[in-house]
Amino acid sequence: MNLAVIIILVVGLVFFLGGAVGILRFPDFYSRLHPAGKMDTLGSFLMLGALALYHLHPFTLDNVLVAIKIVLIVVFYFLASPTATHAIVDAGIRAGQAAWQKPGRGAGS
Amino acid sequence: MKALALAIVALVGGLLISATVDFPDWGDPASPASLHVSPHYVEKTMEETSVPNIVTAVLADYRGFDTMFETTVVFTAGVACFLLLRRREPRPGPSRVYRHRATGVIVEMSQPPDTEPAPEVFKRIDDDWTPHDLIVMNVCRLLIPFIQLFGLYVIAHGHHSPGGGFQGGVILGASVILLALSWDLRTATTRMKETATGLMSATGVFIYAGVGALALAMGGNFLDYAALSPILMVDPVAARSLGIFFVEVGVGLAVMATMVLIYRNLASEGHLDQGL
Repeated sequence: MNLAVIIILVVGLVFFLGGAVGILRFPDFYSRLHPAGKMDTLGSFLMLGALALYHLHPFTLDNVLVAIKIVLIVVFYFLASPTATHAIVDAGIRAGQAAWQKPGRGAGS
Repeated sequence: MKALALAIVALVGGLLISATVDFPDWGDPASPASLHVSPHYVEKTMEETSVPNIVTAVLADYRGFDTMFETTVVFTAGVACFLLLRRREPRPGPSRVYRHRATGVIVEMSQPPDTEPAPEVFKRIDDDWTPHDLIVMNVCRLLIPFIQLFGLYVIAHGHHSPGGGFQGGVILGASVILLALSWDLRTATTRMKETATGLMSATGVFIYAGVGALALAMGGNFLDYAALSPILMVDPVAARSLGIFFVEVGVGLAVMATMVLIYRNLASEGHLDQGL
C-alpha cells in the first residue's frame, strides 16, 4: 500500500516538474499556459489521489471522511483549473496577443 | 538628496535592527505578552465558553467589542463606497448592445429603444467587452453553489476550526462576485438586488449589536452572552458558545453584502448597469 502511494506521489512530482520546466522553457504566453493548465492538474490529481489513498490505511470512518474531502478537492480542482486556463487564454486572444511561430515561418512568409 | 535619503534609511534601519535585540525570545514563556491574560484564555476558554478554537472565543466573546466595531468599520466602508460612487443618472452614450440568442448575432442600437426587446430572444450585453464563454459560464454556475455551501460551513464551523464570520462572509461575497465576472453584472444584480445588499449589510451589524443589547436587557453586561441562557434554554457556558455563533452570522452577513456592494459600485462606476 505504502509503495503504491510513494510511486503515485513520485509520478505526480514528475508531472509537476515537467509543468514547471515547461512554464520556464516554452516560448510564448499560450504555450506556457499549456503545461500550467495540463501538467498541474494531472500532477495534483495524482498527488492528492495518493494522499487520499494513504489516509484510507486504517480503514475507519474518520479516515474515510478525510479521504472523501481530499477527493472533493481533486474534483473541484479538476473543474476550476482548466476553466481558469481557458479563461486566461481567451483573455489573451481578446487582448490581441499574437501566438508564437517558429522563426522563419512568420505570418508574412 | 539621494545620498541624504539613503543615509536616513540606513540610520532608521540600523536603529530598528538594534532594537530587535531587546525583543523577547521566540516563544519565550516569560515574555510580557504571555504573562498576563494569555494563560487565562489558553487554560479557561474551554470551560468558560465550550469553544475549542481559542481564537474564535477571544475574537467574538472576550473581545467582542473590538469585533463589533470591526464589523461596523466594514459596514462603514461599504456605505462610503456607495455614497461616493453610486450615480443615479444614466450612463452617457445611449447605445445599447444586444445578442440574438439563437444565432449569436450582435445588434447595436444607437438610441435606447422605447420598448426593450424580448429578453428570451435578445440578451442585453455590455458594450465594451463582452465575454460570452459557455465553458466559463457553466463551470462557474456549477461551482458557485458549492462555494456558497463552503462559505456557510466556514461561518458555522468557526468554533472548531479556522474560520468564522469574516472569512465565511468573504467566501460568500466572492461567490456573488464570481457570478458577476463569469456571467455579467446585471445577472448578479438580479440575483442579489441593490437594496438587498444594503439591508443585509446593515442587518449584520444590527444582529451583532442586537445580541449585545439583548444580553444587556437580560441583566448581563453588553455582549455577555451568558446572560442569554434563559432565552436559549441552555446553561450559561453553552449560551456563550451559541452567542458567538449568532454574532458570527451577523459578521458574515455584513461582510458578504459589503463585498458585493463595493465590487458592484467599483466595477460599474456607480451605474450598476454593466461592468467587468
